[in-house]
Amino acid sequence: MFEELLDNYLRFLESLTVEHFIRLFWFYIFFEFMRYFLLEFFVLNLWKLSKLWNKKKYAKAKKEFHFEYPLVSIIIPGKNEGKHLYKLVQSLNEQTYKNTEIIVVDDGSDDDTPTIGRDLEKAGRLDVFIRNEVRGGKASGANTALRFTKGKYIVHLDADCSYDRDAIEKIIIPFYLDKDVAGVGGNVMVRNYDESLVTTLQAIEYYDTISIGRVVTSYLGIYRIISGAFGAFRADALEQVKGWDIGPGLDGDITVKLRKLGYKIKFEQEAVCLTSVPNTVKKLTRQRLRWDKSLIRFRVRKHKDVLIPNQAFSFLNFFAFLENITYNLLLNFKWYFYLGDMLINYRSMLVNIIITNVLLYTLTNFFKFVVYSLYRARTNASYTYFLIYIPCMVFYFGYYLRVVRTIAYIQEFFFKQSYKDPWNPSKTSVHAKKMNL
Amino acid sequence: MAELKVNREESLVEFAGFKFLLINSEDGLNVDRVQFHNAVIIDGNDRAFIRQIVRRIRSDNQPDIYLKPIFILKGININDPFVNKLVDGTLFSLDQIELIIPEVERILTKTKDLHFTNSLSFEAQMIEKTISFMYTCEIQDLEPIPYIYSSNNYSYPILSVNFRQRDEHIALDILEIAEREGIFDSTYIDRIYLCPSCQGGHLTYREVCPKCGSSNSTTEDIIHHFPCAYVGPLSDFTNEIDDQLDCPKCNKRLRHIGVDYDKPSVLHECKACDHKFQDFNVKAKCLACTTDNLVEQLKGKEIRKYSLTKKGELAAINGFVSTSKDIEEIIGTVKFETFVTMLKYEIERLRQTEGASNICAVHLSNPSQIYSKMGSEVQKVLLKDLVKVIRSNIRSSDIISFQSSSTIILSMNEIPTRIAKRILSEIIDMLKRLIATTFKDIDVEFEYEVIKLDYKLSPQLHIQQLTKAFG
Ligand SMILES: [Zn+2]
Ligand SMILES: [Zn+2]
Ligand SMILES: [Zn+2]
Repeated sequence: MFEELLDNYLRFLESLTVEHFIRLFWFYIFFEFMRYFLLEFFVLNLWKLSKLWNKKKYAKAKKEFHFEYPLVSIIIPGKNEGKHLYKLVQSLNEQTYKNTEIIVVDDGSDDDTPTIGRDLEKAGRLDVFIRNEVRGGKASGANTALRFTKGKYIVHLDADCSYDRDAIEKIIIPFYLDKDVAGVGGNVMVRNYDESLVTTLQAIEYYDTISIGRVVTSYLGIYRIISGAFGAFRADALEQVKGWDIGPGLDGDITVKLRKLGYKIKFEQEAVCLTSVPNTVKKLTRQRLRWDKSLIRFRVRKHKDVLIPNQAFSFLNFFAFLENITYNLLLNFKWYFYLGDMLINYRSMLVNIIITNVLLYTLTNFFKFVVYSLYRARTNASYTYFLIYIPCMVFYFGYYLRVVRTIAYIQEFFFKQSYKDPWNPSKTSVHAKKMNL
Repeated sequence: MAELKVNREESLVEFAGFKFLLINSEDGLNVDRVQFHNAVIIDGNDRAFIRQIVRRIRSDNQPDIYLKPIFILKGININDPFVNKLVDGTLFSLDQIELIIPEVERILTKTKDLHFTNSLSFEAQMIEKTISFMYTCEIQDLEPIPYIYSSNNYSYPILSVNFRQRDEHIALDILEIAEREGIFDSTYIDRIYLCPSCQGGHLTYREVCPKCGSSNSTTEDIIHHFPCAYVGPLSDFTNEIDDQLDCPKCNKRLRHIGVDYDKPSVLHECKACDHKFQDFNVKAKCLACTTDNLVEQLKGKEIRKYSLTKKGELAAINGFVSTSKDIEEIIGTVKFETFVTMLKYEIERLRQTEGASNICAVHLSNPSQIYSKMGSEVQKVLLKDLVKVIRSNIRSSDIISFQSSSTIILSMNEIPTRIAKRILSEIIDMLKRLIATTFKDIDVEFEYEVIKLDYKLSPQLHIQQLTKAFG
């Protein structure tokens, strides 16, 4: 059986011509290889060069930052996060940058978060603890925290994450490199990478697709999403956009709002934050459905005006938007088109096509993982740990995530499901839906 | 019918063989005169004067003075609960003097029952003074009264009268000691909080900024506008034209609380340091020493009602000698509880090994006679000397403790009882010689006892057996 399959496959490879190869694997070649490998790799090198080139500039920015020594307000909104607070505050008190204030908003917790928060506040371990008796949602929690800040920069954190000792310092320096920067995203890594196969695969995804992907988009000026787990903002810019709008996906939303005002958004690879990711397929699916729905909601629905030329029009925003839609939304559907193409025209070779695709993707993944290690800031685990899991990535990335994304897009596009997400209290979602936000 | 003799010049009233000291607000008061009279009558309208006289007599150190009955003439209601507890009655006129005679007689008779010892410590003196007063006036309970002039807000007039206002907290410590000594039983009445730096109870509580401690702040409701997630203080939403609220972010009008907006919390803003916060700290400023304390730092004390026990009554009659607090401080001794614990271990050890261990007691048979002739410092010197002599004649592994101020107990482990008895009798001889040379006019009598430890009996039973022969 296996021998027959192998025999069959070898014969298929022997008969493969260049045109034939392009015809059969056009999806891989034009989208995956070109966009996600060649282009990315090319830009990555440009970025690396510019980083070397700008070493002096960076040192100067750092000096300027330390000279000015601005107050940085760290805001941590959340529900039932009390159990993480002590550890988090401890890691924040360890920061190399000392001029900070910590503001925690407890958004209607029903556990012992209020007691823990008050204790820490009394002990002087955090500066302000705000308790909302009734939950208002993530955005209002962040906005509440914002009311209590006094700093020039606002750093938004998640309570269940932990931070490198120099993370706050590193995430603020980009503001001094370019005065137009209004938001900086931190580099999120997976803390529980060895908990289950699901978390290991996510760790690889965070290293390659998310972190490296953000380096590239940030360099191109089309970086989209400042992670809620770790992001920094200029207080005056946040004031201009009047804080966060209601989520989910508010992390991406706020960057679009800042971009529309002409601000730049940057990714700082060296500002490292460790987070715990969903450890089961079920939890992961729920998380990704929420993330993917926000693409439709915020890009296609709420901020479609960036596609329309008017006085606020910027080519970069337009490009960022288009890139996002093309490579997420359209690509997703094109893949089904490719699948249909193969099914109709090359049904007899389907098994061999699938094998080749899997091999191609896996080879690329290996190559990327190894070569990209030259471009990473640091990792929180040894590379070799991940190597044996790389072959699983094609199924995780190419099939699992794709299916989840498709479901999300359909649900949101046709049924506006994100407004029903229990992630927000329904009293706020009702209004968002009515206003087409 | 007895005759009433009033001698205003001499401030003397005589009736039925009793001499009353009549104190007038025009006269000054020399309290020493009180001891030559049977009772005191205060004649005056000035409440402050009355209060002062009463305090001065009751806070004196001589029983001849502080135990004397005090009456107030003209039936002035002085409305001061503190003073009311310290006087024995009122008279509308001297013609009514007959009515108070039984009371005077009773108090004076009771006073005759009392023996006074010049005790070892200030605390013991205060306890003795308090319980003897309670005995003569037949007061069973020492009740705290809420009293605005007390630095603790609660006063025990009979005891507290001995202290200046700012030292009144000492009364609470003394009552605790007395209860430990078995003089009083107590029941809970209330709890008070005292300034940790001066023990004062006059505190003013304020909500203050958690950052800088200022009490100067403003408070506003925080509004959350659901449609746009804007969160801000009420003032962000008000306009100058009407009473409507408009969202500064999305310009929509706020309609209905709970539907399109709510007020999830409040915002306090400190006017001194601009700190914004939700929860105040509560601080208590001491009016006596101006220290501003976090309420968590205040010293909580229980206010209890104290009732004289049988032991307390006996102590009132026989004199209260000392408190174990004083003897605990004597070098070379361990606390009584420690002694009992060590004894328990020794008994436990004997259960497993062969050998003989003993406990011994040295008892002063006439403590009140001894102590009443000495000042408290000298008493301490005597006890120290006794311990020193014992210490130098036993092995360093043996321990010494006081069971009471008149009974010293010690261990003599791992020697035959016969030898222990011999050593102890030698010690007693040495003690007698010591006292004969150092404390010449004092006649000290000793009793002593030695028992062999029996591993079948508890430590408590051993000690009972050891001391049952002493009075
Ligand atoms: Zn004080
Ligand atoms: Zn303040
Ligand atoms: Zn609004």
